[in-house]
Amino acid sequence: MANEEIKSKLKAFFMSDLGVDGDVLNYDTPLFGEEIGLDSVDSLEIISFVDDNFGVSMTGVAKENFQSIDTIAAFIEKNKA
Amino acid sequence: MTSNNRRCVVSGLGVICAVGNNVEETWKNALNSVSGIHKTTSLDTKNCYADLAAEVNCDTLDEIECPDEKDRASKLCIKAMKEALNDAGLGDFADSSRVSVIIGSCVGGVLSIEKYHRHGKNANEIPKMPIAAIASQVAESCHAGGIVTNVGNACAAGTISIALACDLIRAGRADVVIAGGSDSFASVPYSGFLSLHALDENGCSPFNHCNGITLGEGAGIVIVESLEHAEKRNAKRYCEVLGAGVTSDAHHITAPREDGICLLEAMDRAVKNSGIKKSDIGYLNAHGTGTGKNDNAEINAFLKFFGEENPTLSVSSTKVMTGHCLGAAGAIEAVFSIKALTTNTVLPTLHYSAEDSAALKEKVGQMDYVQNTPRSKELECVMSNNVAFGGTNASIVFSKKPGDVRSLVAKDKKIAVTGIGIVSPIGNSKEAYLESVKNGKLPETASICSTVTNDDYKELGIKMAFYRKLDNLGQLQTVSGMRALKDANFTVTEDNAKQIGIIVGTSEGGLGATYDFQELITEEGNAGGSAFKFPHTVYNAAGGYLSILSGIKGYGVTITTGPLSGLDSIGYSMNVIHDGQEDAMMATGTDENIPIITELCQKLNVAADKVVEPYSNSNGFVVGDGSVSVILETEDYAKARGAKVYCYALGYGNGRKNVKFGHISGSGEALDMAINDALQNAGVSIDEIDAVCGFANGFKKLDDIEKAAYVRVFGDKLASLPLFQVKERVGEGRAASATLAAAEAALMLGGELAEENAYFIAKDGVSKKKVATSGFKKILVTSFATGGSYSAVVLGK
Repeated sequence: MANEEIKSKLKAFFMSDLGVDGDVLNYDTPLFGEEIGLDSVDSLEIISFVDDNFGVSMTGVAKENFQSIDTIAAFIEKNKA
Repeated sequence: MTSNNRRCVVSGLGVICAVGNNVEETWKNALNSVSGIHKTTSLDTKNCYADLAAEVNCDTLDEIECPDEKDRASKLCIKAMKEALNDAGLGDFADSSRVSVIIGSCVGGVLSIEKYHRHGKNANEIPKMPIAAIASQVAESCHAGGIVTNVGNACAAGTISIALACDLIRAGRADVVIAGGSDSFASVPYSGFLSLHALDENGCSPFNHCNGITLGEGAGIVIVESLEHAEKRNAKRYCEVLGAGVTSDAHHITAPREDGICLLEAMDRAVKNSGIKKSDIGYLNAHGTGTGKNDNAEINAFLKFFGEENPTLSVSSTKVMTGHCLGAAGAIEAVFSIKALTTNTVLPTLHYSAEDSAALKEKVGQMDYVQNTPRSKELECVMSNNVAFGGTNASIVFSKKPGDVRSLVAKDKKIAVTGIGIVSPIGNSKEAYLESVKNGKLPETASICSTVTNDDYKELGIKMAFYRKLDNLGQLQTVSGMRALKDANFTVTEDNAKQIGIIVGTSEGGLGATYDFQELITEEGNAGGSAFKFPHTVYNAAGGYLSILSGIKGYGVTITTGPLSGLDSIGYSMNVIHDGQEDAMMATGTDENIPIITELCQKLNVAADKVVEPYSNSNGFVVGDGSVSVILETEDYAKARGAKVYCYALGYGNGRKNVKFGHISGSGEALDMAINDALQNAGVSIDEIDAVCGFANGFKKLDDIEKAAYVRVFGDKLASLPLFQVKERVGEGRAASATLAAAEAALMLGGELAEENAYFIAKDGVSKKKVATSGFKKILVTSFATGGSYSAVVLGK
């Protein structure tokens, strides 16, 4: 799966499942910052989505990998089978 | 000392949980440190990382009247109720208005929701779904004819029910209250807590390994009685119930505040309201769920609160035996606390090794966390704490002595209505609603709903980071609540955040969200639940979101009885203010109309197939929704902050004649009782009532009950008495419509709704015409619930 496709899938997930407004969500927008405001409950959803859709486990992975769509996509890219 | 007429005593106990099917068995097993936690046999655990639960094993639950009409939550509760009544030497109450029922629950009829969804959508399951069914069916089983309500504050609901029971008795509204909580183990909470990674695969280990909770199920009932009533019948007396404290974290929808300061405030209120010293408390039955977040917050709060004055307080969590029984937890733990008090025995938290004990000691110092085996200790007072999703904290004190209970300290204060927030299918603000009324806007279809948009959020300064988390019910609630604060010009600050509370009334609360969650896990399996969606299933999530957004940290309770909950939120708020617990309250009514709600109404054959208006003798009603919030505060408080006053809340009343939950026929005379009770409470005569804001929705069965009661109560005066019916415009929005009816009355009395359609009931039929409202001085507002409960409120200039 191309990197761009992963990112667009992630963005669609943030919009449909975590209620994020797509207009303010760029690939480099900080997800846990003030504007988007994700928290620990949301990270559980991200982990579950990434596992189900890309077969990559992010359980217990360092925080910096969750910073933005870019960093999550990079982690998936690096760790997918 | 507490005056005799304010003393509340416990005269009966009942319990059913994984440790035992009655008090004797449960207590005996608890003394032997038996845990009820085992591998679950009732649910699918495929791909689930934790499979333990504390399930009830009882084959006599169906030995009640019409078991097919009751969810397991009701059955558990009725079993505990029967034991408690028997223990108290009480039996059938013959619809006595002096006997009330208040039951807490978190997930209510969730098993019936699952059954409906998985097994052919049978309409018979529908009346068993809402939490409201539980108290109603308990009342029906023993013919309690007083106030019947449920508390929907998730895991703190059981404790709050007992606190509310005392409030009712001290306010002179009941002699006996059957109070407690009930919940059953089911896929939705199991999958939900799995999705939050909040279950401990090895079984919960409170204050110890703290890897998560283990779910349990059961019911607990405490018979709370006025001292006078108990003495008169020479009843058994276990102990006194002293004061309680209920607060809101205003922090996070699932996680407690790490600093535990709002839990500390709840304990402080409980101690102060009890009129005791902190050092009088010998044992604290903690919430102690076994999650790190909860347990550490509690450890901190206990050290801060008791550290100096009561450093060797005994503490334990009994959840390691019973599992976390959610809405029943507080009630079951109340039974444990009372047994501890009366037998001078502290129950332990189980499963500590020597290393575990040493590690805990590091954290808690000399505080006495009782471990592994029970401890004999002379006890004077015990405290029981529970906290919940939505940020609710509740604390209550049981005692051998009467204490010096603080209650009704503000009972002579006038209560002003100072703010109104309306979200409805015809407008999302008071202004938009009034404009639609002026333009004669009516429903366009037989199923209508409110639409909250980004414009609402923008106007109220609600950021995306917050509103993205809201489900539909939460959207309705937060927008109406914030609009009410804005309308009242009430700015919540650090200084006043604890002086204002919230009571949310709702008929179905999170039932729709629970159904949607069930739909998800039917598809994905129990391992496929959503951590994002699960919090919305609890009925107090909407109120919790409002508290987080507004910063309100005072009293926070969600009541759920049916449509009249939207009016009872006003009545109970008056009680909270008169009790001196808060200076100001937000009373709100909220119910949603998402597709499943209309589907359920259609299945029950109560949804109209076209637009109908009140008194149209139709076979159904327009399904609606909304959220309406009203700010109430003492006149002094309103004056001090220069608030405008719409009108005053003069009195409220209730009536009940038991019929089956889901039914109304045959209960009509209870509406007469509610009206007369409200008039008496307000000190107003029937002749002084200038208008009525009622609850007719077009459905003949309901409208006929309303009409017939008005004929009896108002007599000849009725022909010239204007009746206003908000449901002609917003449909049957249940609790939202009940609060809207009160809001309309306030708008008329406050001069903001100069003209309105009025219905007039005469012998030859119903007529309708526009009337001027400027001459009105006092307006009666009424509402109903299935099962036979009615409420009324009197508002006046």
